[in-house]
Amino acid sequence: MSQYIPNFIIPDALLLLFPFIVIGSRLFCDYKSKIPWRIANFGFIAIFILLNLIPLASGEGRFFISNWRVDDFGVLMREVLMVSAILGMWLSKDYFEHGADGKPQMHQIAEFIGAIAFATFGGFTVVSACDLLTFFLGLEIATIPMYALTAWNKQDQMGSEAATKYILMGSVATAFELFGFSYLYGFAGSLHFNEIQHAITNGTSPLLWLSVLFLFCGIGFKLTLFPFYTWAPDVYEGAPTPVTAVLSVTSKATAIAFLVVLVYGPLAPIQQQIAPLIALLAGVTLFVGNLGALKQSRLRRFMAYSSIAQAGYIMVALLGPATMGKTAIVYYLFVYAVSNYLAFFIFGIIGHHREETFASLRGLSKQNPSLAIALAISMFSLAGIPPLAGFFGKFHLFFSGASTGHYVLVAFAVLNNVLALFYYLQLIKSAWVDEPDGHLTPLRLTKRQRGVVILLSIAVVVIGFMPFLSDNIFAGFNL
Amino acid sequence: METILFNAIWVIPLLTVLVCAPISATHSKILKSLHAASATVVLIAVCFLTYRVYALSGTPVDKAADPLMLRFFTDIPWLDVFKAHYTVGADGLNMLLLALTAFIVWAGVLVSWNIKGNQKVFFALIQLLATSVYGVYMSFDLVLFFVFYEMEALCMYLMIACYGSGRRDYGGKKLTLTLAFGSSMILATLFGIYFEGGISSWSIVELSKVTLPMDFQMWAFPLMFMGFAVSSSLFPFHFWSPDGHSAAPTAVSMLAAGVMMKMGAYGCLRVAMFLMPEAAKIWLPYVVALLIFNVVLGPFIAIRHKDLKYITAYSSISHLGLIFLGLAALTPIGLRGASLQMISHGFLTGLFFATIGMIYERTHTRDITEMGGIMRKMPFLGVGFVIAGFAGLGLPGFSGFIAESTIFIGAFQQDSTLTRIVTILAILSITTTAVYILQTANRMLHGPLPQKYESLTDGCFREKLVIVVLVACLLFIGVCPGWISEILDQSIAPIFAKIAASSIPVVGG
Repeated sequence: MSQYIPNFIIPDALLLLFPFIVIGSRLFCDYKSKIPWRIANFGFIAIFILLNLIPLASGEGRFFISNWRVDDFGVLMREVLMVSAILGMWLSKDYFEHGADGKPQMHQIAEFIGAIAFATFGGFTVVSACDLLTFFLGLEIATIPMYALTAWNKQDQMGSEAATKYILMGSVATAFELFGFSYLYGFAGSLHFNEIQHAITNGTSPLLWLSVLFLFCGIGFKLTLFPFYTWAPDVYEGAPTPVTAVLSVTSKATAIAFLVVLVYGPLAPIQQQIAPLIALLAGVTLFVGNLGALKQSRLRRFMAYSSIAQAGYIMVALLGPATMGKTAIVYYLFVYAVSNYLAFFIFGIIGHHREETFASLRGLSKQNPSLAIALAISMFSLAGIPPLAGFFGKFHLFFSGASTGHYVLVAFAVLNNVLALFYYLQLIKSAWVDEPDGHLTPLRLTKRQRGVVILLSIAVVVIGFMPFLSDNIFAGFNL
Repeated sequence: METILFNAIWVIPLLTVLVCAPISATHSKILKSLHAASATVVLIAVCFLTYRVYALSGTPVDKAADPLMLRFFTDIPWLDVFKAHYTVGADGLNMLLLALTAFIVWAGVLVSWNIKGNQKVFFALIQLLATSVYGVYMSFDLVLFFVFYEMEALCMYLMIACYGSGRRDYGGKKLTLTLAFGSSMILATLFGIYFEGGISSWSIVELSKVTLPMDFQMWAFPLMFMGFAVSSSLFPFHFWSPDGHSAAPTAVSMLAAGVMMKMGAYGCLRVAMFLMPEAAKIWLPYVVALLIFNVVLGPFIAIRHKDLKYITAYSSISHLGLIFLGLAALTPIGLRGASLQMISHGFLTGLFFATIGMIYERTHTRDITEMGGIMRKMPFLGVGFVIAGFAGLGLPGFSGFIAESTIFIGAFQQDSTLTRIVTILAILSITTTAVYILQTANRMLHGPLPQKYESLTDGCFREKLVIVVLVACLLFIGVCPGWISEILDQSIAPIFAKIAASSIPVVGG
């Protein structure tokens, strides 16, 4: 085992080292230095490239180093998490710059990026775990930095309130999970996934069902499933915009990865039996999320409900067989990350000059047509209108759900899309139809903002229908 | 070569958008000319290909496209994850509908020459809408079909809400959401077709060779049929159309009523009825009952309205009802009549909305009670409007007569009392149609000219050209329908063969 370090572990190890380097680099440079930012940029991108370059060792692409496993799903999830981290870092940069009033909104960018890296590493751990202990550790590594990030803006009362709320809710969720794990251990007599799976294959007991229930409750908090979603709108609104974006993508991706690992791993033998529970959670969550979003007027609160609904849609895919479900979820997370970040970049640009409400969008199509087009692209993609990526993502999810005959749920989810389309149209209406407000000056974009918005818009348009992007990524993998 | 040209039909509009993207919005002349040129190129290409489809009729086709007699067949794997293919082809019906679309898009670009607002975005959206409609008619793969079908929602809302008039946001939302509701019903059943079909294929050609399980068909057919019927404003899903059309700018009304509403009827025929003929036989008689509203009550509502666009919208509702009457008849003549009506109504409603738009641009009102004596100031536009009206009420010589009489003959052949009663009612309702058309023409075109309209001018060359071309199309179909029917029959024969071959099994056992 210790004779050589397998190459697939390099990105993981680098990412673990990365926050220390970035934070440590501040010791050697002055307060306003750009070096930590450059290191962070270089590091994240290098890790992302390494993830793509390092070939999975030939064969089944599945390794064990004590409790660390890197399979195809793991690699793809790592890429999603890295994309999210990179975009989150770019989005946050503006908040640390000196604005018109000479003061940045937030301080200590190096620590901020370090926290994002830790959260990302938590996601890595979740998808690599093969026993309950590592699994739990990963989930916590992913969550705890988010608590700190939520309260990063020290002048903002709302942020502290949101963080408090988040910590309280998160702790309860952790308790639920631990409880579920303990029962699972009690049932199977082992922490290892394979042995748990083996034990479940041999027969079930009420203890198992109780533990499954607790696990779903626990993860329900983190994935904002009904009825545990109530913290999300407050936290999303209270946190700084880049944190909200990271929260809605990285956290959600980690939580759904947790479920995927669980449902297709140790709980695979009883997937059929827990399907009604998943279907119920999915259906109710997406309905509640959509209903909640209808009447929102603040952008981040709106995005919170929208992401609750998206969580419901993602759950639909968990009903399908393993390969199909995993493909659908990974693909959707890519699409969701890109569309969501596009929206948050635009909201961030608006937030620098105005309040983040629907009313601030007025007249956007007259003053900044390109921004209005980008906004429409991201909203239509989230609503699942072809040929944008969101449609193909949702198509994947529904395809997976329908493959096991859950037509009623799929029909319900599809009909809910109409509801979703309504509120996304509300937002587009604010930007496109409403006349500009006299005292709102046109927004000025920095070069980076413009570049990222254009890049993401093109990505949202193209990754859907370009076959090489959706197929060939997955063609070489056995998910 | 022709296959490449055929595939270019939907690519050219998209390329135009890309080419125009870097040009600054201030050069609106250049942008508009580019869009007009691209629409003209597509129009010429489509006309040429339609002629080729006619000329090729009777010759053997590609083996893969066998039962449907598809020309220019292209089949490329597209999204392997769910085995979607890029499958396009042309038979008579969709080629003619493509030709109709090309004419309407061309006319739509020309009539919106002076549209207010950001012209660059508007014309780009028209081209995107055109792409979507072309794609729907061309594709023979259900995923591809649905992608194009749903794409319209993206363009429609923005075009209506940003460039429309009156209650534009309301109208746009109503239209978009209702259509999205329809397409979500379709999407839900598409998955069922894929998994229940048992051959893991989305291809309409392949799926037509299998029989879907009966209990699946029984719930899927009504869902899918109604899903498509939403966009053809079949009762009770007609409510979006008057508000949507009246709020939309001229070109969008033309496209929406002229070609998009046909997409629904086309989908009913091509997908729902073709793939689930057994269930169609059971369910379609109930659809006939719904038609009483469309065909009989639609014209009555039109009489009561004062807004020109509302009148035309209700007239469209009644004319589309006739398409469904032809489809529900399930006889070859009925299907041919329905297809003819799709094409004929596309041209005449295009002409209707075009002239209304031109008149509205001058009078700034669509209320017929405020107008009068328009004929004296705008004889050309007035005549265009009257011709559209006459074609609509089925005056022999125009396309409407051929299409409607074919439908009536076909529907009356159906051995069902309900269908015959509805057919008779439909024939009688032509009188009602005549009432609202003549009443509208009378109030608007004749009588005293209000003082404020003294300075109005007749259509310019661009507008006259649009009217002349559309009238010529109406006359062409009306005067020599044989040519069109011959093209149509190529594609209707396989569809009818499939329907005729199906037997209704005992349901429930």
